[in-house]
Amino acid sequence: MAEKSIKQGVIKGIIKLTVILGASFVLLFMFRKMLPAPTEDGYRLLPVIGSRVWVWIVAQLHLNFAAFVLGVPIFAVTMEFLGWRRSDERLDRIAYDFTKLFTLAYTLTALLGAVLMVSLPLLYPKFIDHMMKILGPTWWVYILVMYGEVFVCYYYFYSWKRMKDRKGIHVLIGVLLNVMGILMLLITSSWVGYMTTPGGVSETGELVNRWQAIKTYMWIPLSLHRLVANVVFGAGIAAAYAAFRFITARSDDERAYYDWMGYTSAMIAIGFSLILPGIGYLLGVEIYAFNEQMGIQLMGGFFAWLWVMQAILIGAILFAVNYYLWISLNKMPGGQRYFKYVKFLFVVIFLGYAVWLTPHSVALSLEEARRIGSYHPALGKLGVMASKNTAVIISYLATFISFAIFRMSNKEPVVSWVKTGQLIRILLIVGSSVAVLGLGVYSYMVPSVTRVKVLSPIQFGVFFLCIVALYLLDSRMYKGARIIGEPKWGKMPERSQYALIAITVTFTWLMGMMGYMRAGGRQYWHVYGIMKDTSPEAYLPSHGTASVIVTIVTVLFFLLVAFIFWSIMKLERFSEQRRAG
Amino acid sequence: MKSGVLKLILVVIGLNLFFTYIGLDFLPQSESHPPREIKIQEGISQDDLIVIGEKIVFGKGQCMVCHPMNAETGMRAPAIATIGRDTKEHAKKEGISHEEYLFDALVNPSKHIAEGFDDIMSPAHKPPTSLSEGELIAVAAYLQSRGERVTISYPESLSILKEVMKKEGGS
Ligand code: HEC
Repeated sequence: MAEKSIKQGVIKGIIKLTVILGASFVLLFMFRKMLPAPTEDGYRLLPVIGSRVWVWIVAQLHLNFAAFVLGVPIFAVTMEFLGWRRSDERLDRIAYDFTKLFTLAYTLTALLGAVLMVSLPLLYPKFIDHMMKILGPTWWVYILVMYGEVFVCYYYFYSWKRMKDRKGIHVLIGVLLNVMGILMLLITSSWVGYMTTPGGVSETGELVNRWQAIKTYMWIPLSLHRLVANVVFGAGIAAAYAAFRFITARSDDERAYYDWMGYTSAMIAIGFSLILPGIGYLLGVEIYAFNEQMGIQLMGGFFAWLWVMQAILIGAILFAVNYYLWISLNKMPGGQRYFKYVKFLFVVIFLGYAVWLTPHSVALSLEEARRIGSYHPALGKLGVMASKNTAVIISYLATFISFAIFRMSNKEPVVSWVKTGQLIRILLIVGSSVAVLGLGVYSYMVPSVTRVKVLSPIQFGVFFLCIVALYLLDSRMYKGARIIGEPKWGKMPERSQYALIAITVTFTWLMGMMGYMRAGGRQYWHVYGIMKDTSPEAYLPSHGTASVIVTIVTVLFFLLVAFIFWSIMKLERFSEQRRAG
Repeated sequence: MKSGVLKLILVVIGLNLFFTYIGLDFLPQSESHPPREIKIQEGISQDDLIVIGEKIVFGKGQCMVCHPMNAETGMRAPAIATIGRDTKEHAKKEGISHEEYLFDALVNPSKHIAEGFDDIMSPAHKPPTSLSEGELIAVAAYLQSRGERVTISYPESLSILKEVMKKEGGS
């Protein structure tokens, strides 16, 4: 496919997008004529599964793909840049492989977007009319940017080999691609921001100031949160791809490369996920600032239990990461020396996980929940959150240490102050763990406001300082270190790859659930406080029902992703055969 | 290789089933429905009015999101159990009637900030809660019943409420 000329490739992309958009407009027009008129209050109910579930599934699938195609270019370009500056062929190859992935995912993303674009105005005509009235111009800008994005994306991909000698310019094109991507993200986040924390309109929903309607409380923090989450998610999918290629690899060379790709992608995912709680916190602060009631509902009301679920999912991810790093020590010459520490870290994470899952707190709060109903005064449950926060941080710290051990396991420091360095390291780890634990215990004794606004940020702060300090310390201490042997990439048992897949599946599920919570925070409003949802489906389903739908989305998503992986392999075989024949 | 792919698929499906199982079996299973319009008949007895008010405070009004029933350390908002008595005292201090104070607390909460609390409550007659006039009166009657003799009734108290709402609009 890379043999195609740049012009051909770009034109193909533009035509594809135009056909998809054109077909959607035609379909929308035809369906409008054919279908019965909407009900008086502005709904058409989709039979069997219902409009809400349909839009939920399509929107989440579209969002997953969008996250993927917006997230991957960020680190693809970074890798290309690094490969160029360091003249590292392997980095260039991985950047190209990442680019192949998201370029191929574009069509599916656009198709799913088209289904959403046809479904929404048909099923929720009144709501979409309102959105067009308030934010219509942004939609047309969005389509323009979409064309820009497709143009740049296909150009970037098809010019990769041809612009080998003009890397600087090629990297710039990649940067431009990311600028486009961020613009798209900002536009779509402004829609969701308006629906959740509206501004710029009168109480009856008349437009007062369009810029205010775009620039809502949620807009920037939501965009930031999505930006980082997209990188995490995109890297996760790339790791899944690598795992798939590792398992189906036919030569040791391939296995070595895909092992390395899986490791790199997974570490990008975990690394970026470290900042998510911080940005999530910002997002929360903005929601509280907009409307305290909504904030409390999200954190401690109907959704309180889904935060426990979130902890379970994050715990599962950390568990898989550590398992993976643990197995990875096998391929590091000298790695065996560290098995005993990793075992200990594993126990720490297991204990952390146990705190999240303690049947005691579950049973207690379940009973409470039944007694008090869904409007539990927030305190009780947030009280439970205190220990969960602490457990999350300690587990993250343990994960970081696993990672540091893995990186250093094939090296022997040669600097004169090794002993002191090791002592500092131990002090850092023990000191910050004690601080985090102490703050966690202390936060049981203070009002929730103090805990949320003061103690939790300090806990995260201590954690970040600690990992930055550890990182700096290690890079000093291992400067010019004696290398015992190069890592034997590819020497990994297959089960390590299942751990990689498990990480990605869990991320996807988590993203589906958090997306539901963000949308559900509006409760029975299309636009919070401005436009009520008066359809029969305007209620929040039970957590069980929500879980089933999130699972359906996740499984469908992996089916589609498997299709993309499969077509890449097919295309590669095809071009290999052509070259051979 | 074939068996490897099969195992991959099993991991994907297995994890999804596991998460669904937790969602279905570990988490509480209530739905959250939008509130219904509550019709209040003219001349309703005070006892019935209080019962309706209680329902709104615990449900549609979402008051319990912030207010605890009984005083506890670190509470965000004043306890409901004694709110009738507390508001009466505050009203006395400000030299206005208990009814007026209560209505003010509901439709213009920023006007009197109870000591030791933040100004975070939004007006109960505006979105997202959007209580009707009848509902506001029922709520006020219930609040009054927590520690005080109830003097609010429907539709007699409507005029005071309207007065308070007019002032709120003007300020
Ligand atoms: C977002 C949280 C929140 C919600 C929801 C809320 N309140 Fe409040 N409420 C407060 C806070 C905080 C105060 C104390 C500060 C003040 O007086 O405004 C307060 C004060 C009051 C007072 C006055 C107490 C006094 O002594 O002056 C009354 C009465 C009251 N609330 C009733 C209600 C009712 C009834 C509802 C439901 C319709 C409700 N509140 C919903 C947070 C809330």
